[in-house]
Amino acid sequence: MMTLENSWVVAWSRALGLPHDIPQWVYALIALICIYCLVVIPSGAILSYLDRKLTADLQARVGPNRTGPVGTLQPVADLFKLLQKESQVRWTWSENLWMGVHSMALYSTLAVMPLGSMALLVDTDMSAFIPFWSALVLALGTMLLGISQNSVPGWFGGIRVAAQTLAGSFPALVALLCVGVRSGSFRWSILGNSQGFAPWSWALVANPFQAVAFIVFVISGLVLLAIPPLDGGLSMSDIHGGVSSHLYGRRLSLFRFGRFYGFFLWSVITVVLFLGGWTLPTTAVEGLRNIEAYRFLAFIELLWLLFKTFILMLLIVWVARVNPRSRVDQIMDFSWKVLSPFSLLALVGASFWAGWRAFI
Amino acid sequence: MNQITESSDSSTDLTTWEIGPYHGSLPAPMRLRLGLDGEIIANCKVETGFLHRGLEKTCELHSWKAVITYADHLDPEVAVYGELVFCLAVEELGDTSVPPRAQSIRLILAELSRLSAHLLYMVRMAKAVGSETIIHYLLRDRERILDLFELLTGARFSLGFLRFGGVKADVTEGFLERVLEVCEMIRIRMKEYNDLFTFNHVFLQRSSFIGTMPASLIRNCGITGPNARASGIVFDVRKSDPYMGYDQLEFEIPVGRGEGGNVGDVHDRFLLRLREMTQSMEILKQLIEKLPTGEFLNEKYEKGFTIPAGEAYSKIESSRGLLGCHVISDGSEFPSRVQFRPPTLANLMAIPQLLQGTRIEDLPVVLASLDLGIAEADR
Repeated sequence: MMTLENSWVVAWSRALGLPHDIPQWVYALIALICIYCLVVIPSGAILSYLDRKLTADLQARVGPNRTGPVGTLQPVADLFKLLQKESQVRWTWSENLWMGVHSMALYSTLAVMPLGSMALLVDTDMSAFIPFWSALVLALGTMLLGISQNSVPGWFGGIRVAAQTLAGSFPALVALLCVGVRSGSFRWSILGNSQGFAPWSWALVANPFQAVAFIVFVISGLVLLAIPPLDGGLSMSDIHGGVSSHLYGRRLSLFRFGRFYGFFLWSVITVVLFLGGWTLPTTAVEGLRNIEAYRFLAFIELLWLLFKTFILMLLIVWVARVNPRSRVDQIMDFSWKVLSPFSLLALVGASFWAGWRAFI
Repeated sequence: MNQITESSDSSTDLTTWEIGPYHGSLPAPMRLRLGLDGEIIANCKVETGFLHRGLEKTCELHSWKAVITYADHLDPEVAVYGELVFCLAVEELGDTSVPPRAQSIRLILAELSRLSAHLLYMVRMAKAVGSETIIHYLLRDRERILDLFELLTGARFSLGFLRFGGVKADVTEGFLERVLEVCEMIRIRMKEYNDLFTFNHVFLQRSSFIGTMPASLIRNCGITGPNARASGIVFDVRKSDPYMGYDQLEFEIPVGRGEGGNVGDVHDRFLLRLREMTQSMEILKQLIEKLPTGEFLNEKYEKGFTIPAGEAYSKIESSRGLLGCHVISDGSEFPSRVQFRPPTLANLMAIPQLLQGTRIEDLPVVLASLDLGIAEADR
């Protein structure tokens, strides 16, 4: 098992000149801050830029091109613009409370985010399930935030998000079980290392049932976290963005970034579960280990993982931009009546496949 | 608690939700007071008048010729119809003849306006269902039509191009060829847009079986135009009461067939406008093929224009339906009364009944599908 002593955090803290007798929670805190500031926030900036440029290309227009070279600093400019805007309305204590719950639920998953073989802070037998519990708490926070806004858009937005999360979590969980059946564990390190660098060694192509599970997992993730085009709960045209209709400035940027984080987390998990994760060619890994270039190896693994994640996210963005938004009852119908049976089929198939392989 | 026991006739209390005059669901400034039973709209009240500009009164304060530019503010999206219907009424009153070439130029403008209005209609529908990409494609093509307006009249909106007894100027060099080019371009691109949007599975799911207008509702409210034809009522002023030489052109009146869902649902209204665009392009081709030579303006009537006392009523088929204009003259240099009969007004009357039982997610889609031109309704 990966412990804190030999994790990449220790190497970093040594490099920064921190003493050895610092308690473990300080290391963990430093690791979380590093992940948030060096991985999540830059990913948000890069992806929002790529999203806007890709969308602009699809829609026969130019996109951001003024701020920085070819508009690359636009996300930074947007962030500062939103941060300096003050809220017009004072919030009640309950709104503050539920916004807090919402953010805590979201960012509690930072610790379980699998970002490479040496960047697994919480690598337990239950690791892969933790993001789901967070997603459920997130939906609760969003729902109660919406209801505490005391307005029709917030109310409907909150209820819809909660209903969607319930509908999406069942097929997503069953699809996750399919992967666990194949690799034999829900530990990130085992899930990741059961796949290889080459695409034909990924879980996605291991057997047809895994492919079904992959499709179910991606779509139910969109339902679960209300990501476009399946974001009926945050629909702009009828309920003005639902829960976000009462948010301005900093709170809106916090909320929006939270939604991005959910999308990002889900894509990282999908890549780790189905698309080979962080695994590099064995010879390259051994070579780097032999010369003890652990930090470089961790960095390369992270880049490879993020590259696949971005490709997956851009593909989803592409679909979202071209298609209309589905109605929320249609999304839930689809989730319960189509995704759930397919996920169960995949689970049964994957179980038989695994049993047959074990028998032989 | 008392309220619940008192209203024992209804099982649930209704949530009231007031939206407007500016809201994402609404295609134009208006206010809706909705009573919601869960996500279902139980009742609805419509309040309009936020765009009232006193247009008809303004028309009485200006000379006959100046009123033309006010008439095209009736509906800024399709300026030429306001001008056309007013000119037709005044020409009937003054017994003015319009040269054949001017008639054809007017019709070219009218049909181009129909194309542009229907493209804008598709944009509003796409916005209502949250489909971003198609919006940009459609607006890009609509720009080409506005370019044509600019080439002919010098203005992109608010053309001010019609005169009593003709039009202001002859066609510009290269205009007719470019009209054909644009028609061909739209014809080709519409096939792509149909794949991308019209027959997109998600769009079909969003637009079929909702907002169905039965023929009885159409008759009760006096709805005309594409909305009525989508519900199976064959009525088009261009056929029933031809003006400006529509009787010499060959075209069909598309009627809703309910391919996606019911006859007269949102998708039917959408499809019908697509078919109308095809017909408009046919009309444009015929008009350009046999554009008569000769005068474009009856000079005799342009100088010292006087309108004898009397009254006249003219009607045309605008992109939204029957647009009427009632003009009364007392023989002076100002109109005594100008009154418009905008097609949108009838659609507004149908909204309360139409929205009953609709989900609130469908509210923007149903409203967008009605093609409300609130400017002409509020005047």
